Amino acid sequence: MTPVLGISGLHAGYGSSIVLRDVSLEVPPGSVACLMGRNGAGKTTLLRALMGALPRTGTVQLDGRDISDWNGHRINRAGMVWVPQEDAVFPGLTVREHLFIALGRRARDAGLAEAAELFPILGERMDQEAQTLSGGERKMLGIAQALIVRPKLVLMDEPTEGVAPIIVEQLQPAIRVLTESAAVLLVEQNIDTALALGSQAYVLEHGTIVEAGDIRRLYDDGVLERRLGL
Amino acid sequence: MRVVAAVSFLPPDSFNVVVLIAVFTLIALGLHFTFGLLNMVNLAHGEFLLIGAYTAFQIQETTGNVVLGILLAPVAAAIVALVVERGVLRSLYDRPLDSLLATFGLAVIIRQVVQLIYSANPRRVQDVIGGSFEVAGFNVPWWRLVVVIATIALVALVSAILAKTAFGLHARATVRNPALAETMGINVALVRTVMFALGSAIAGLAGALLAPINTLDPQFGLLFLVNSFLVVILGGQGSLRGLVVAAALLGGSLSILQFFISTVHAQIIVLLIAILGVRVRPVFAERIAASRQRRSSAHGSGPGSGGTALTAEALRDG
Repeated sequence: MTPVLGISGLHAGYGSSIVLRDVSLEVPPGSVACLMGRNGAGKTTLLRALMGALPRTGTVQLDGRDISDWNGHRINRAGMVWVPQEDAVFPGLTVREHLFIALGRRARDAGLAEAAELFPILGERMDQEAQTLSGGERKMLGIAQALIVRPKLVLMDEPTEGVAPIIVEQLQPAIRVLTESAAVLLVEQNIDTALALGSQAYVLEHGTIVEAGDIRRLYDDGVLERRLGL
Repeated sequence: MRVVAAVSFLPPDSFNVVVLIAVFTLIALGLHFTFGLLNMVNLAHGEFLLIGAYTAFQIQETTGNVVLGILLAPVAAAIVALVVERGVLRSLYDRPLDSLLATFGLAVIIRQVVQLIYSANPRRVQDVIGGSFEVAGFNVPWWRLVVVIATIALVALVSAILAKTAFGLHARATVRNPALAETMGINVALVRTVMFALGSAIAGLAGALLAPINTLDPQFGLLFLVNSFLVVILGGQGSLRGLVVAAALLGGSLSILQFFISTVHAQIIVLLIAILGVRVRPVFAERIAASRQRRSSAHGSGPGSGGTALTAEALRDG
């Protein structure tokens, strides 16, 4: 079966500094692959490189199509969406306008209704500037933006990191819906969340994949504990 | 004192105040896109007015129809803008010194090409309507009234494009965070190209509209360059409302001062007002932002704009 995401021999970095070296991985349809590693291992850099935000070499395929040379907007419209770790919003733009941007040419009313159903608080704040939302609400907006476009693949960067437990409880059902409706490459430091959501794990160290396989097996064998210092 | 010469054609009567405010708005409106929003220090802005003015002149000479010339002026300016943006300028956004150098060179080239084709001799674009009428004792020249109405229409159009259309939404997102805009599916390079072409088209139209009430020569664009930048900078880069307020302040002051003192002295005072305005603007901006924050917190949706954030912080701390 063709993987939704196939990466082969990827090198990427910032300017002359190479961060990722010869990274290869696959995310099969309907699966959640967890990208794990200590701080500075290159997890977020990999997601940024996949979205075309960094110079890169190697092969990246989405649903069998070679997207190695594509720009970020084309990658997004092809069905690979990114939920960044930081609260990425446009200053001065409302919640509604953020959702419009995510929807592109798709039906707007249905998309807005879906976002409001998923997170009722967003429905109440459609005309509020997104930068005035709380951190948790901005995470909700990021997840809603991804969910309403029916993506093929979601790159999700620590969706619950730095969020109050009460907000995590509201985020989890939506993350669950997202993982059930699309293939996901999930950067996650929390081992419990990773085990609950993920089927495979890839462990990055110094920009190189050092372990890959079934996440439960890697955990049971103590590999994750050793590699991540749990 | 080219800047002074730019406005010396205006008659010293009361309607002149309105006209000069409109002229200051009109000449800065294109720069609102290229410099105000795209952050390109566009020293070739005046030359896009020049292209528009000479397009109107050329069509007038070829067909005898100056209205057609005025209508085609923004098209000609946009085509030149598309070529130079795609060819040279597209990699210079957010690089102020590089864009300054490149657009300065571009301005010189355009001026020289115009001079080679049309010589340095002054040309005349016909005043389409001509004459004037009196209302409430004020003398109102017809073409200047057209310039005022066209300016109001253009401001409304630009405001509507930015606020109401999908392109405007993409433009605002691109200006605020181009990297995020790209990953959210916006073709940032294309949006920037269209914005640059749109700003240049508006400059071209401004040049054609102002040509009938000014002498046209290859230095025509330079007449408006300084005042365009003064208006955009004083109004707050990227703020259309601020642009109109700054144009009203500077254009209004200049025309009123001209009733009492010479144009040279009036322009010096206007420059001082602009410098003082830029100096005190951050203080006003802070006060306005603080007042907005207070209003936002006081309204019903307040929790989202502060309360929830506080709650979340408290929960994290707890």
